[in-house]
Amino acid sequence: MNSFVERYSTTSATGQLRRAQRLADEEDEFSDAAWGSSAGFGNIVKGSPSFMVPNTPDPTSFLRLHTDDHADPSCRIKIQHGTTTLAFRFQGGVIVAVDSRATAGSYIASGTVKKVIEINPYLLGTMAGGAADCQYWETYLGMHCRLHELRNRERISVSAASKYLSNLVYSYKGMGLSMGTMVCGWDKTGPAVFYVDSDGTRLKGDIFSVGSGSTFAYGVLDQGYRWDLTDEEAQELGRRSIYAAGHRDAYSGNTCNLYHVKEDGWKFIGNYDLAQLHNQGYGYEHRVEGRSSANPPEVVATA
Amino acid sequence: MPAMVSSMSQQPTQQAFNPYTENGGTILAIAGADFSVIAGDTRQSEGYSIQTRYAPKVFKLTDKAVLAVNGFAADGNMFVKKVRQRLEWYRHAHAKDMPIRAIARLIQTMLYARRFFPYYVYNILGGIEEDGTGAVYSFDPVGSYEREACRAAGAAQALVQPFLDNQIYFKNQTPAPGSSFPKHLPLTSVLPLVIDSFTSATERHIEVGDGLEIYVVLAKNSTALQSLQSLRGAQEVTTTADGERVFVIRRDLKKD
Amino acid sequence: MSIMDHNGGSVIAMVGKDCVAIASDLRLGNQALGISSNFQRIFPVTDRIYLGLPGLATDVATLHERLRFRLNMYTIKEEREIEPETFAHLVSSTLYEHRFGPYFIEPVMAGMSKTPSGGLKPFIAATDLIGCLNFAKDFVVAGTASSKLYGVAEGLWEPDLEPEDLFETISQTLMNAVDRDAFSGWGGIVHVITKDKVITRTLKARMD
Repeated sequence: MNSFVERYSTTSATGQLRRAQRLADEEDEFSDAAWGSSAGFGNIVKGSPSFMVPNTPDPTSFLRLHTDDHADPSCRIKIQHGTTTLAFRFQGGVIVAVDSRATAGSYIASGTVKKVIEINPYLLGTMAGGAADCQYWETYLGMHCRLHELRNRERISVSAASKYLSNLVYSYKGMGLSMGTMVCGWDKTGPAVFYVDSDGTRLKGDIFSVGSGSTFAYGVLDQGYRWDLTDEEAQELGRRSIYAAGHRDAYSGNTCNLYHVKEDGWKFIGNYDLAQLHNQGYGYEHRVEGRSSANPPEVVATA
Repeated sequence: MPAMVSSMSQQPTQQAFNPYTENGGTILAIAGADFSVIAGDTRQSEGYSIQTRYAPKVFKLTDKAVLAVNGFAADGNMFVKKVRQRLEWYRHAHAKDMPIRAIARLIQTMLYARRFFPYYVYNILGGIEEDGTGAVYSFDPVGSYEREACRAAGAAQALVQPFLDNQIYFKNQTPAPGSSFPKHLPLTSVLPLVIDSFTSATERHIEVGDGLEIYVVLAKNSTALQSLQSLRGAQEVTTTADGERVFVIRRDLKKD
Repeated sequence: MSIMDHNGGSVIAMVGKDCVAIASDLRLGNQALGISSNFQRIFPVTDRIYLGLPGLATDVATLHERLRFRLNMYTIKEEREIEPETFAHLVSSTLYEHRFGPYFIEPVMAGMSKTPSGGLKPFIAATDLIGCLNFAKDFVVAGTASSKLYGVAEGLWEPDLEPEDLFETISQTLMNAVDRDAFSGWGGIVHVITKDKVITRTLKARMD
């Protein structure tokens, strides 16, 4: 029934896409601008993107059949999954910390993924779920934030930017987008963090962590969090939380990318190899220093 | 008629729409300081059958960009065709070749335009950046991309990539005291590694073999030119003078 | 997800010049969650045979005990130490007895076997989970990182490596392979078996 309604409805995302598809037929896909200076903007040359949809009764199930690697590990198109990302607000601004691992099944496809997307000098977005979805829509969001600046002669608020993204992904609800993102920045109201996901959820909050390693990150984060953390303490907490998640979660790891958002915009703090963090003191064996049950201190023999 | 009754009560069965197949093969790209190497085997297979022993997977886009495509061959060939079309339009409009970072973004938008009906293609783009450095961009089928120094994709990616981590990035190796590992390897070290990667993959993966095509893109005045000219069977395919130069090297791989 | 990937872990064995090496990672996981970084899945069978059991952890323990029992019975009956070839067939037949309800283990063996002239020569073998034997002359691999291990080993291994060089080769192969596998890693262990001794070393590896 649902797919039947989808098929003939003109207001659903599918219906709109079908209409767009009919209008923008293959020959008509590019406006004259594509030949000239706007060439390179591809499918967003008309201002709003249009997508090719398979000609099946239920395009969504088509996509799910071929791309969902949780339901069927043998399916062909593997979308990269697995992540730990976190962001929190505190006295000195916003800390954003993420890992850099991308997995396809058990294979670690990349250990150098940039999961923080620099939308503009004041806004950051994080990446969890579909890598392409996050990259593409957050870049697209960046374009619209700039248009907002040109139209209104002031920077867009974090709230407005995140709502723009949330409304955008909501219009594709049910189509198979997969994103769990935190839009972070500084505006007139001060530091702000919004959680936005592809279900359409949008939440304002102080502490968020998203991804398969989020539970581990929350464990460390909640334990060490205070509003009046110093900048150094806050950065250390972000880094330490990502380390913990990278350690325990098979789908997270490799390196930690750390950002700090302040009044004058975001600053990239550094890229930290988790193996180095482990060896330089975060690791368990460094903290027990030969005093654990597995590695007990030497008992002095008594005569 | 009982057969009639049962057939009437049955729902019409619908065949799942499956426009994809996997054609095997492996591609690989490595960026040097002032050059880029993009390679792929030439076997095309479906299941246990070899369709052809020579189907190129690596394509020259411009004199400074080479694209390797792997996955579903029909999608791959069509995608390359469309990218080339867009690059030609760009040339007509701007009287110059599109820079590689722009090609990378173009490929992202072209792949993402098919987000709901994806090209089943893994792309690796290699070439020379505007600042003269070697670049490799790798993509997933729906357009997420990243600039890297080295990337293997396709059927034998799991065999090749960890070997490259070890030999290109020197992962799990410690330099001798007082020394350090080079940030970029010279072409004379990279080419043997590429060939070894493919002979290894051919040995252990049934979908890899037959032939190897290696494209080398050199930046202007690249120091790697000399080593390339003395190499057996390096063929130049550059189209314009005084710019980046592109060479192809072909090698045989085992055919069993 | 396959039950073979439930706990993760990988083993590799390699032949050298008058020596063999067997190595494994130390991770025990529950799907994505890491549980232990000191899970031994390589066991000494005799003074010159080592057995690696990658696969489902519960079966690692059970199969190890079962093989220990059968090995003891063999040793008592024959009044001599088992040869690696014989042991490989013992493993194989034990697994095939459970053809239709197998142990989810793909054993890897390494040892030095006696030659008719009284010398010792390297021996490695692996089987699938129902006991199909593979006597390779170079290296054998098994576990969640098997495809990665094949690729690196094929690139790094060469014939007639001396014990120290074999140690370096197998260690590099293991570490670089498991660093591309989500379910293997968390440390490693290597045993190099020579004519007169066994060198055991633990590897300091990535812990993520």
